[in-house]
Amino acid sequence: MKILVCIKQVPDLESRFKIAASGTWYAAEDLAWRLNEYDEYAVEEAVRLREASGEGELVVLSLGPERAGEAIRKALAMGADRGVHLLDPLSHDKDPRQIAGAIAEYARGEKFDVIFTGLQSQDRGSAQVGLLLAGLLALPAVTTIVAFSHEAGLVTVRRELEGGARAVVKVRLPALFTCQLGLNTPRYPTLPNIMKAKKKEVRTIAVTDLPQVAALVRTEKLAFPDKRGAGVVLEGATSEVADRLIAILKEKTTVLK
Amino acid sequence: MDFRLNPEQSLIRQTVRDFAERELAPTAALRDEEERFDRALMFDRLAELGLTGIIFPESCGGAGADYLSYVLTVEELSKVCASTGVTLSAHISLAANPLYLFGTPAQQERFLLPLARGERLGAFALTETAAGSDAGGTRTSAVTDGDHWVLNGNKIFTTNGGEAETYIVFARSDKAAEKHHGISAFIVEKGTPGFTFGRKERKLGIRSSPTLELIFNDCRIPRGHLLGPPGEGFMVAMKTLEGGRIGIAAQALGIAQGAFAAALTYAREREQFGRPIATFEAIQFKFADMALQIEAARLLVYQAAWRADAGLPYGQESAMAKLFASETAVRVANEAVQIHGGYGYLRDYPVERMLRDARITEIYEGTSEIQRLIIGGAVVKG
Ligand SMILES: Cc1cc2nc3c(=O)[nH]c(=O)nc-3n(C[C@H](O)[C@H](O)[C@H](O)COP(=O)(O)OP(=O)(O)OC[C@H]3O[C@@H](n4cnc5c(N)ncnc54)[C@H](O)[C@@H]3O)c2cc1C
Repeated sequence: MKILVCIKQVPDLESRFKIAASGTWYAAEDLAWRLNEYDEYAVEEAVRLREASGEGELVVLSLGPERAGEAIRKALAMGADRGVHLLDPLSHDKDPRQIAGAIAEYARGEKFDVIFTGLQSQDRGSAQVGLLLAGLLALPAVTTIVAFSHEAGLVTVRRELEGGARAVVKVRLPALFTCQLGLNTPRYPTLPNIMKAKKKEVRTIAVTDLPQVAALVRTEKLAFPDKRGAGVVLEGATSEVADRLIAILKEKTTVLK
Repeated sequence: MDFRLNPEQSLIRQTVRDFAERELAPTAALRDEEERFDRALMFDRLAELGLTGIIFPESCGGAGADYLSYVLTVEELSKVCASTGVTLSAHISLAANPLYLFGTPAQQERFLLPLARGERLGAFALTETAAGSDAGGTRTSAVTDGDHWVLNGNKIFTTNGGEAETYIVFARSDKAAEKHHGISAFIVEKGTPGFTFGRKERKLGIRSSPTLELIFNDCRIPRGHLLGPPGEGFMVAMKTLEGGRIGIAAQALGIAQGAFAAALTYAREREQFGRPIATFEAIQFKFADMALQIEAARLLVYQAAWRADAGLPYGQESAMAKLFASETAVRVANEAVQIHGGYGYLRDYPVERMLRDARITEIYEGTSEIQRLIIGGAVVKG
């Protein structure tokens, strides 16, 4: 089985963000970077599938600037066999179609049986790259998966629907899956595996060496949301506060309907 | 010169940080309150992550990483739980490292391997009631009897005591020799007849790290459990502590950063006189000094680790790192409490625990006075 997992490096969400001089993205200076959370689920699921299937290969791919190599190293330490770095110092200016396009250019020749991506990136949050990649490779795609099992070329997944409902989907390989919180608990890369990953191959390909894809979406402006008013604090006797809370929940939400 | 971490080092730091924040932080205050050592969390989990033998080669059961990776690990653990930091530091630097430095191949196979793999926990017992800063005052005795050494005496203040399976114990093997001579190092296993535990100390800080008395009463150990040359135990202890000080320096650096981060979060949120207290110049000056001291401590600690990795002498540098980082930890934690005002004095905020935890770093593995003696002596001798 040949597996691809696509990952992205994103800023730690605890960071204090500033808007970049361009006005269309955040400033990258002084940020701490880490592997996109949804991609951790994708890597973990890919590693499990790789371990279960025994033979084959798990390739981890990231499109991004130099530092994205750290995210690739992490996935290698978690169990991926080799890495591909589509080097693009300007990746933050690319739209999802361009990102998916570049990945498709690479992936087309490799004939992967399974592709995992995160549901979305924690910074841009477009949730488009996985689906577009499937489209460009003419593969079926199942999004938002929270359970995955595989038997003889047939994959059964559960995917999350609105309001907590789950759908069970069966799909024949090759196919692409986008991974959601709840799918698994990603392993920590152990120190010995971190050291071993040093010896694994990472191939770097400049995106400028791949056929260029035009953008379909352009970011006009990035801005912080207006400050919201402070939350409501209920005070008084417990039973009275509880009654008021129930009233508010009934009036403003659907949780008690 | 390059001040950046390499990719492996930054991944190790990230991994340990994630582990510490997700798994250690939630129970740190409660374990402190209950004076409870949670072995499954504070040691077994570290073993699963491959962190119990960081600096030892794979052939010895370690991960083959460098001292800087070790420092980063203890630092990240100590940011949220200084007790876990010292558990690992005592295990690696004080118990496993002397086996690595002075053990025979057979001793390494039998004792170092399981320590490095984290199957066993280690401890180091040098201090006695009459031998604190002056280890030459060691009174615990070791006499030969056939194929055995027979140990008698008490050791106090043993970190990981009671919990550990493997103990490095120092005893006087030659009564006639003066002071520093005539002391030898021994490997003693938990469960050996004649080896029992005394009281568990009740402490100001690092309360979820157990500190116990060890009692040797005609405790017979095989002759082969002598570690290093006979009569050279003082040298074994001093070499061991040179490395250990890097671990404690890293612990102190971690505590300082934990307190700093907590104070910064608090100061940005807490409003008085209609604005966040972080906007007051008096508070900003505190942060300036804290940040400066942490950065200076970090450079000293990382430099000592770098020297150890480069195979250069590092005794003086590790003493400087330990001295400066520990005094930084106390100052920074103290200011962090001050920035919290009255809330900083309560158990509800972590800086109260961090201030208590910081204090020990100025005392164990050589008090600040002893570090100054080491540094001053080396400077004057030239
Ligand atoms: C929580 C905890 C954990 C510990 N863990 C371990 C462990 O795992 N293994 C172990 O062997 N020990 C351990 N220790 C012991 C620790 O290393 C000693 O407490 C420390 O070395 C100081 O010795 P002492 O307490 O006897 O103080 P003393 O040596 O009596 O010192 C008292 C004071 O006199 C000063 N002083 C002493 N000599 C001089 C001098 N020549 N010049 C100037 N000032 C001097 C000291 O700096 C100090 O201020 C631990 C202690 C504690 C509290």
